Amino acid sequence: MTTSRRKATDRRLRKIELREPEYLEDTDIGAVRDFLSTYFPSVEVLVKPPVIRQDWKTDIDAVAESLARCRVKNPSDAVQSFEPMFGEIDYERRAAVGQAKVGGIVYDGRKYSNLLYSVLAGELRIDCASIAFTQRLLSTFSRDDLRHHLRTVVCGFPSVVSIPGIVEAPAKPKEYYLSRQRLEAIGAGQLQLEELKSSFRGRFVDYGDPRMVDVMKGLALQAVMFHLTLKPFCDHAECRLFNAHWQEDLVKSQIASTGLCKEHQEILVRLRDNPIISW
Amino acid sequence: MPIFEKSSESSVTRAIVSQFAKDMDGFADTDVIIIGGGPSGLMAARDLALKKVRVLVVERNNYLGGGFWIGGFLMNTLTIRAPAQKVLDELDIAYEEYEKGLYVTPGPLACSKLIAAACEAGVKILNMTSFDDLVLREKNRVAGVVINWSPVATLPRQISCVDPVALEAKVVIDATGHDASVVKKLEERGLIKTPGFGAMWIEKSEDAVVEHSGFAHPGLIVIGMSVSTTFGLPRMGPTFGSMLLSGRRGAEVAYDYLKKKGH
Repeated sequence: MTTSRRKATDRRLRKIELREPEYLEDTDIGAVRDFLSTYFPSVEVLVKPPVIRQDWKTDIDAVAESLARCRVKNPSDAVQSFEPMFGEIDYERRAAVGQAKVGGIVYDGRKYSNLLYSVLAGELRIDCASIAFTQRLLSTFSRDDLRHHLRTVVCGFPSVVSIPGIVEAPAKPKEYYLSRQRLEAIGAGQLQLEELKSSFRGRFVDYGDPRMVDVMKGLALQAVMFHLTLKPFCDHAECRLFNAHWQEDLVKSQIASTGLCKEHQEILVRLRDNPIISW
Repeated sequence: MPIFEKSSESSVTRAIVSQFAKDMDGFADTDVIIIGGGPSGLMAARDLALKKVRVLVVERNNYLGGGFWIGGFLMNTLTIRAPAQKVLDELDIAYEEYEKGLYVTPGPLACSKLIAAACEAGVKILNMTSFDDLVLREKNRVAGVVINWSPVATLPRQISCVDPVALEAKVVIDATGHDASVVKKLEERGLIKTPGFGAMWIEKSEDAVVEHSGFAHPGLIVIGMSVSTTFGLPRMGPTFGSMLLSGRRGAEVAYDYLKKKGH
């Protein structure tokens, strides 16, 4: 009895650490912290600097090379085994010290999470859910269709939330892609493409959209649920834990939705005062 | 009374030959050689020349400017997104704001002013000249280029058996657009492996082109659309703002490198 009680106490979530992204654009990590605090009032929620800090000097060359190795060069290749180019390592080195902005490159989300795990070695604890926000695009390989897919969140230790992934990962309405393809086929320029985007306004989240922070809150909650239960997602399209693959579903679940489905409301009420890690 | 001063045919020929020979003599060994005279190449060349760096632009066509003369769908209106309009200000190119953060300018105006700005800054141009191969030194560092007249490649072999010449440079910049011709030469030799264009459909790739502008290999910088080919970035439409800023970034990287080497 004493043993099991001690075990339960040891497996209690005491802290959530939110790691800031490489640069603060389209983000408000403080708002995410406040959001999580309402669900887990007994848990300390902290905002910490990025995992790979710009003033961090140790082994920067090794980390730059490891980051370059995380790139996804062939979406149909599960392994992505290659020797990174001189320029790729140089870019990652510049990005790591703040001389270049990250973005536009797809990284393997699993490899990236593993890299953060190795950098954070010694700091990660089971009673602390670590969630790293990043401005990098992340993908994971799907066994369903044997190709990489962009992701909004990659759950793990730590979990990683991709901020540009909110825009790029869930698919936009089919008509948008068809219209865009047609425009590009006739050599349309940026002007026409921007006009096309305007005609779909509201149906997907775009860069600079203040609603991105609302989505980040839901994704962070999914990451915490993963840490507690290993079950981050819900099948209900109006629940904040819904893993949206379409932008219209993302808008519905994270922005139009008032919160959680009935089942997850009950689970989170139980976890509110007693956030026990159940796996 | 004739309008023009009297001059003989031989004087005209001597003037052409001697000035060209003088230029070639000066640029046989230079600081920076830029392959490709499109918007990114011209921008980089102009910025470097303003810092007293000796720059030679090699352009395979007779005309400079690449795709900067026209915008999408063969319409000669160029679109520039903020903050690249600041470059237009610097070059004294007139433009209008189409909507917040998006500017339009006539292609012929912007392109001709950019060419003029590069030439006035002291950039030397070798047009109708094609990049043929690379000069490599220790540890396969890029140390120059091999060039030939562009028409040579279009003539039958028995007529066009013209050997090329080599020029040395501290830095070579690949500004050849989607072709990434200089990088591809390294790839032919097995010294680099480019992934090609990113297959995933990504909205925001303009920043990535600018941020990746820099060294791709020791001695070789990539700018403009060749950055996309080299690093496998998502393919973009005609986004000229990123071409200008990519050229500027490449010039900064080259200048920092030259400074470290004691330029």
